Amino acid sequence: MNLLESLLTGLDEARRHWGQTVLSLLGLVLGTGSIVTVLALFGGQTALTEQFLSEVGGRGTIIVSDREQSAHPTARELASKRLTFRDAQYLRDRASALTAVSPGWAEDLPYRAGNTSFEGQVIGTVPDYMAINDIKPLVGRYLSDLDVRLQARVAVLGWKYADSLFGAATRALGQIVSLGGKNYTVVGVMEREEFYFAAWEDNALEYRNERAYIPISTAIVQHSSTDNLDFLTLKAKPAVGGRAAQAQVKSLLYARHGVEDFDIRTSGQGAGQQSGQFLLLFNFIFLVVGVVSLVTGGIVIANILLASVVERVREFGTRMALGATAGAIFAHVLAEVLVVTVMGGLLGLGLGTALTGVVAHFMQMPAVVSPFIATVSLATALSVGLVAGLFPALRAARLAPVEALRYA
Amino acid sequence: MPALIEGRGLAKTYRLGQVDVAALRGVDVDVAAGEFIAITGPSGSGKSTLMHILGCLDTPTAGSYRLDGEDVSGLSGKRLAHVRNRKVGFVFQTFNLMPRLTVEENVALPLKYRGGVPRGERRLRALRLLERLGLGDRVGHRPDELSGGERQRVAIARALVGEPAILMADEPTGNLDSRAGGEVLQTFAELHGAGHTIVLVTHDPNVAGRAERVVQMSDGRVV
Repeated sequence: MNLLESLLTGLDEARRHWGQTVLSLLGLVLGTGSIVTVLALFGGQTALTEQFLSEVGGRGTIIVSDREQSAHPTARELASKRLTFRDAQYLRDRASALTAVSPGWAEDLPYRAGNTSFEGQVIGTVPDYMAINDIKPLVGRYLSDLDVRLQARVAVLGWKYADSLFGAATRALGQIVSLGGKNYTVVGVMEREEFYFAAWEDNALEYRNERAYIPISTAIVQHSSTDNLDFLTLKAKPAVGGRAAQAQVKSLLYARHGVEDFDIRTSGQGAGQQSGQFLLLFNFIFLVVGVVSLVTGGIVIANILLASVVERVREFGTRMALGATAGAIFAHVLAEVLVVTVMGGLLGLGLGTALTGVVAHFMQMPAVVSPFIATVSLATALSVGLVAGLFPALRAARLAPVEALRYA
Repeated sequence: MPALIEGRGLAKTYRLGQVDVAALRGVDVDVAAGEFIAITGPSGSGKSTLMHILGCLDTPTAGSYRLDGEDVSGLSGKRLAHVRNRKVGFVFQTFNLMPRLTVEENVALPLKYRGGVPRGERRLRALRLLERLGLGDRVGHRPDELSGGERQRVAIARALVGEPAILMADEPTGNLDSRAGGEVLQTFAELHGAGHTIVLVTHDPNVAGRAERVVQMSDGRVV
């Protein structure tokens, strides 16, 4: 009897005692379903993080920020000029791994327009910042090279600040806003930026709606006495990659400063980490449920199969008398359990897909059961079946024909 | 013409805990092709053990056994299974049909284990035999839809489907009423008439009387 026939026989056996088959499959179905759901949700979450990364400028964006001076600074630390506008020029000339360098100055300043006033972030930067961070103006324009060269008193507002200062974001264009006591002409308002990791999460990009951009030259001249910067936003050449570019920038800056008084990281590093906490727990619970169900399911299958083997000892004896070898009997029982577990795996896949749909709907997050997940879950179900079926199959195959025939 | 079955000094000893129990104490047995013999004797006389050895379900602890010219006394379990499949057809007291298979599937089963016989041919051979045994209208039924006599004739068809050298029947009428039993015995007589070699094990002298030759056993020996 060949393998195909063994499998057909197994399918036949499973079909002929349907009720028992379905019952014995329950654990396996639940287990596979849970694992499918976990994998799908996890995949969805990974896709979200990836999406967030591209939203905040994509892979290859590097941020260098000024590190707070330590409590007891060393001589080297005191000698360093810290992160400056000249560093930005230097990187632009020397860092071959970069395509764009954008110096950044940031400070909380009082905003005022008409009767509305509050304190908020002001960013001094250059046009490249917009390209690196992939942000667009909703109305008007962004900062231009001319603005930077002329130290123009112009500001581009984030959507929310424009909205709160002038009643509507689009109405801000051409108006005067006071930032830190100096008047600026609003030449543009940025698009509203939104990103939600889950339905119940806050807008992960809200900070971008709550700021104003002014030319870096204006910021230094009007609001600062030095050319010290708070951060540099850099873009790595795609062919080089973020990691290599990061290393180059680090060594160049270290050579200039003589001390590591800056932090360097890729954009989006740690993105969505806090929002992932809840999902992580959620996934963990599902995973535990899945594994426990699979183990229990496997034991149940092994048990039922064993009982069914004992019940059919005489049948196996007869089959042996008709010429079945021990191997054929082994294959027979194993094929039976394999057919059953594949069915269980398929049912579990269906359940998991449905469950994923429900969870994804209620939590408003993307989750897709990919072919890869389907394969993994079926393979899992199959291995559970193999392990569960091994002992009963061995037991049946080891029967001595005479004793099996005599068995009442 | 050499004997189909040639057993010399066949012995079988079982070990039960500390004691050895001899079920067979040196039996010589010859069956020629086309013979119809009955092995008979009281319960515990060793007739079943002898049949198990002759049917290659078991191996003797001593002695030699040649079946159809081949020494089978020392074969492995796997080889024995192949010998059973090709050379021996079994008929049991309790029919031993597969309850979930149809009559036709039951009969074709030995050919399935033989391998290399296409599905169509297995079917054809099963149907032909069932027709011959008067069960042509029962092929699609399950065993539990048949009478005892019909079930035993299905079992006989199954035993014959592989065209074995010998047909072995262990108390084939034991679970049948006298009319059905008579019909089954009549079937055996007809098969014998057609040239089949039959070894029948029974404790019933009336059944044994239907055979050409009776091998009487007692206490593990032929008497």
